[in-house]
Amino acid sequence: MSLRVLNPNAEVLNKSAALHMNINAAKGLQDVLKTNLGPKGTIKMLVGGAGDIKLTKDGNTLLKEMQIQNPTAIMIARTAVAQDDASGDGTTSTVLFIGELMKQSERCIDEGMHPRVLVDGFDIAKRATLEFLEKFKTPVKMGDMPDTEILKMVARTTVRTKLYEALADQLTDIVVKAVLCIQNDHEPIDLFMVEIMHMRHKFDVDTRLVEGLVLDHGSRHPDMKKRVENCYIMTCNVSLEYDKSEINAGFFYSNAEQREKMVAAERRQVDDRVKKIIDLKNKAGCFNPFMLQVCSDNDSNFVLINQKGIDPPSLDLLARAGIVALRRAKRRNMERLVLACGGEAVNSVDDLTPECLGWAGLVYEHVLGEEKYTFVENVKNPHSCTILIKGPNDHTIAQIKDAVRDGLRAVKNTIEDEAVIRGAGAFEVAARQHLINNVKKMVQGRAQLGVEAFADALLVVPKTLAENSGLDTQDVIIALTAEHDKGNVVGLNHNTGEPIDPELEGIFDNYSVKRQIINSGPVIASQLLLVDEVIRAGRNMRKPT
Amino acid sequence: MREIVTVQVGGFSNFIGSHFWNFQDELIGLAEDPGGDPIYKNLAINMDVLYRAGETHQGISTYTPRLLSIDLQGSLGSLSSSGSLYNRRPSPDPSSVLTWTGKISRLVSEPHKKNIFLQSIDEEEHEKERVVENGVEKCIPPSQVEDRDRVECLESDVHFWTDFSKVHYHPRSLYELHGSWTEVQTFDNYGIGREVFAGGLQGEELNERLRFFIEECDHIQGIQFIVDDSGGFSSVAADFMENIADDYASMPVLLYAARHPGAYMDLLSRKQSISRMLHDAVSLSKLSSLCKLLMPIGLPSLTESKLSTFLHIEDTKTYHSSAVYAAALHSACLPFRMEMPGPTADSSYAAGAIDINGIVQTLAGQAHQNMVTILDVAMPAPSLIGDHGSGSFQRSVHSLTPEIAEDVEDLQSVESFSVLGAFHSGGYRASISEVEDSFYSTYQQITNPKFLHLSAAVCPLPIPLPFPSIFGNLVGQRGELLSSPIPGSKPRGSLDVSSIPMATRLRSSNAILPFIEKRLGNLRRFGICRGAAGGQLLQSWGFGKEELEDMGESLSKMVMLLNDSEMYSDSD
Repeated sequence: MSLRVLNPNAEVLNKSAALHMNINAAKGLQDVLKTNLGPKGTIKMLVGGAGDIKLTKDGNTLLKEMQIQNPTAIMIARTAVAQDDASGDGTTSTVLFIGELMKQSERCIDEGMHPRVLVDGFDIAKRATLEFLEKFKTPVKMGDMPDTEILKMVARTTVRTKLYEALADQLTDIVVKAVLCIQNDHEPIDLFMVEIMHMRHKFDVDTRLVEGLVLDHGSRHPDMKKRVENCYIMTCNVSLEYDKSEINAGFFYSNAEQREKMVAAERRQVDDRVKKIIDLKNKAGCFNPFMLQVCSDNDSNFVLINQKGIDPPSLDLLARAGIVALRRAKRRNMERLVLACGGEAVNSVDDLTPECLGWAGLVYEHVLGEEKYTFVENVKNPHSCTILIKGPNDHTIAQIKDAVRDGLRAVKNTIEDEAVIRGAGAFEVAARQHLINNVKKMVQGRAQLGVEAFADALLVVPKTLAENSGLDTQDVIIALTAEHDKGNVVGLNHNTGEPIDPELEGIFDNYSVKRQIINSGPVIASQLLLVDEVIRAGRNMRKPT
Repeated sequence: MREIVTVQVGGFSNFIGSHFWNFQDELIGLAEDPGGDPIYKNLAINMDVLYRAGETHQGISTYTPRLLSIDLQGSLGSLSSSGSLYNRRPSPDPSSVLTWTGKISRLVSEPHKKNIFLQSIDEEEHEKERVVENGVEKCIPPSQVEDRDRVECLESDVHFWTDFSKVHYHPRSLYELHGSWTEVQTFDNYGIGREVFAGGLQGEELNERLRFFIEECDHIQGIQFIVDDSGGFSSVAADFMENIADDYASMPVLLYAARHPGAYMDLLSRKQSISRMLHDAVSLSKLSSLCKLLMPIGLPSLTESKLSTFLHIEDTKTYHSSAVYAAALHSACLPFRMEMPGPTADSSYAAGAIDINGIVQTLAGQAHQNMVTILDVAMPAPSLIGDHGSGSFQRSVHSLTPEIAEDVEDLQSVESFSVLGAFHSGGYRASISEVEDSFYSTYQQITNPKFLHLSAAVCPLPIPLPFPSIFGNLVGQRGELLSSPIPGSKPRGSLDVSSIPMATRLRSSNAILPFIEKRLGNLRRFGICRGAAGGQLLQSWGFGKEELEDMGESLSKMVMLLNDSEMYSDSD
């Protein structure tokens, strides 16, 4: 082998060893994630070396937490994580599918089949399955008012695999409402317009949807009110601090008096900006675009939320004018505030008009130790909202947060796909029967075996669901395929092991998630099968000087 | 008060940071200690610049660094990423899981064992609590562990930077990057770190954490970065700084680009060495474009450097080398924490306050317009009036910046000296005015530098217990340099030396030219020119041809400015 000559330290694995290394890695990864799947899966508590705890039932999170070293496993993990980035779910299924494809292939290859032929079969089967998916999907009409029930069913299906039922159902309502709140007919859904905020406080069931915004900071002046009603909201990105510190450097002045003058001039500029905002407040008192009733200065308040800094002298001026001011707001909150409260974000204080102000019925501060939260609530017709997660400790909060993200993605996918897939393993069984009964016969020669392997690999989803529920896998698969051959689309009831109609039970998966699993799984599996040699060079070869 | 937020990115920078915060913790402790040395009583240094006051949910007040530390997953050893102040250690009992009623499996990684030093700190704290709880002073059983054991255990038992840290961190301070599936050894180039921010959520989380620390500042003066620029952390830092530039447009950023001696290992293959050279070039170009002042620190070997006259540093121990850089950093950034001249400032303890913007203007705003600055250090600093005539104090500082030209006479150079607790002569501590006088009389006799800023403080660098035993036998108990060695060949540590005088110099000079030119040359040779050997590599890091040319241009502009002003001064 030429490489040996060139680099005696390189490890070379021959073809069959390389193949088995890949297969074993895929199987190993599958074994780790297998128990995650479904509403009867096992939650994993990861305890780190320093006693840190992570809770997860999410394949994506688990993969990221694992210190994977095997290059094949890393490749599979990357694909699975990319799956999550693209469609928000399906990490576990992708890993299971790839693992199962490799397992099925191993059987064929051990019987003397060339991987190339298998891969050809995979390719045919993949195309056929994707076509079948198009026929199988249940279209959902979106129109002006999306069907809330179906959105809830999809969200519930995914969230119930992450959290216990009561909490899952509570969150389902929240995520559906949240997505509907930010949805706008003609534009793609930007999930960033749903703020996810958390408080280490109270219990998981205190998690709620805030129609409006929760900011993770408060005002920085003791005289500013902690609770104000009927507020104008000014969203701006204007520096209200004196930061021209070049003056301190000492090159631009020759004596103390000159320096004082320059400092004073700079300070005056900042003060002018603050004064303009105060003027706007006074003007706005007489102008009210949102409420028809006449109001006077006394019953409306003014809240300033700034992305830039506000220094103590400016805060002082603002407080004296009765303005509540928050500094250093998140960049994204500028956008969210405008969507929630109306008005517009201003970048300069020149030409301010009352039209750029938004409105909120209630703004109040909540203090937890050193953490302050500002709630901007009771807004009219909001297009941005906040999911406020509560929980007694960090790992509980983190796990709920993951589930909320998945739920949001599921709702968004449904709206964008305008279709859903019947779940509980129904699709996988149906596709498998389609491949075996119809597609396989049309294929010439040994590629048939590839199609068959692919079809059997699809069954990994219902099989694992059954296994995790403590059911007998073979009984379940036989019962399911029998129903499908009769023309009934059924899934698995994870409590009884009997076939059920997923449509009646309201178990639906995302179309785009399934599509991507079927697309990416065979691609990676094929690459791994076609590896001829594994060369490990460049490791452990560095020596310190 | 003008706050500074510190950001530490990457392995070695966190080792430096750990020593750095130990110094600060020691200063705070000494100032409060009723029986302590009076020299620490009035520091004239505002600790609030680097520290924040906070409060836990239980209402206990806290005082923690304004710090964001970023490292790879698993680099925190036995320290929890949420610190130890705010959270009680969560219960690993499966019955405590509230969110799942189904099956639970527990995966427990081997707990990191705390070394004797950390154990004894824990013990002390528990004892303190016990005393408070009972209300009455109880007789505390003397600790079984001798200080000597604690110091010795650190010499052999430091694996993580947390192993020698005695500081409490805020729960938002420590951030571990996850999901890169790379070993530390392979996290070694600019390309690999770019994925960290590309994913979205991790970058967002870092921005949020930084915003938390910045929001509470009334007059922030800037951000100081300590970046381990020997590998993928360069690009993590660069991406982070890019976000900072977007969010806080006028905020000055100071950057120490640090690398440990191990980063200079000989590479066997040509491919690896090209990768290394391109990494260095790209990293310099990117980082320098995003900060106001960049100080490369990290010599290939401290053992062979001039510092070894007084210090015994083992290059293979990160715990050793990081201590030297941390001491230099402490001294260099002390002027930012002194009170600005004014009616309230007492100039008998410290003088020469300057803020980050000031130092940037001083060093990078002048003739050379050069922002790559050399950091020189004297550790411990000699006495002002030495045996070797005038200027010997100034000559005692040695560069911690690698690859610079020695002995260049640059008439345009600009310097900023910071002197901590220097001795006048013998064992007598010099007053501020004596330091000033000595400097001005020396600098009147020489033509360069063109401009000098001097900061001085009476307070020396305290040596905390977990400081490594690196002092040679010519260093006395207060850090004074002895004329005859103390008998015994063992290196001396924190039990023998309680404090040392320090001097550091930030220098903007054309001595830095070889450093920049080398990187520019490598970038052109292996990256830009046609058919360059590293072209494909750079592409895989995500750099197009145009971007590379821009990088080359910005580096060559730096070189040009450094050369140009020299010609100026010739024609003057």
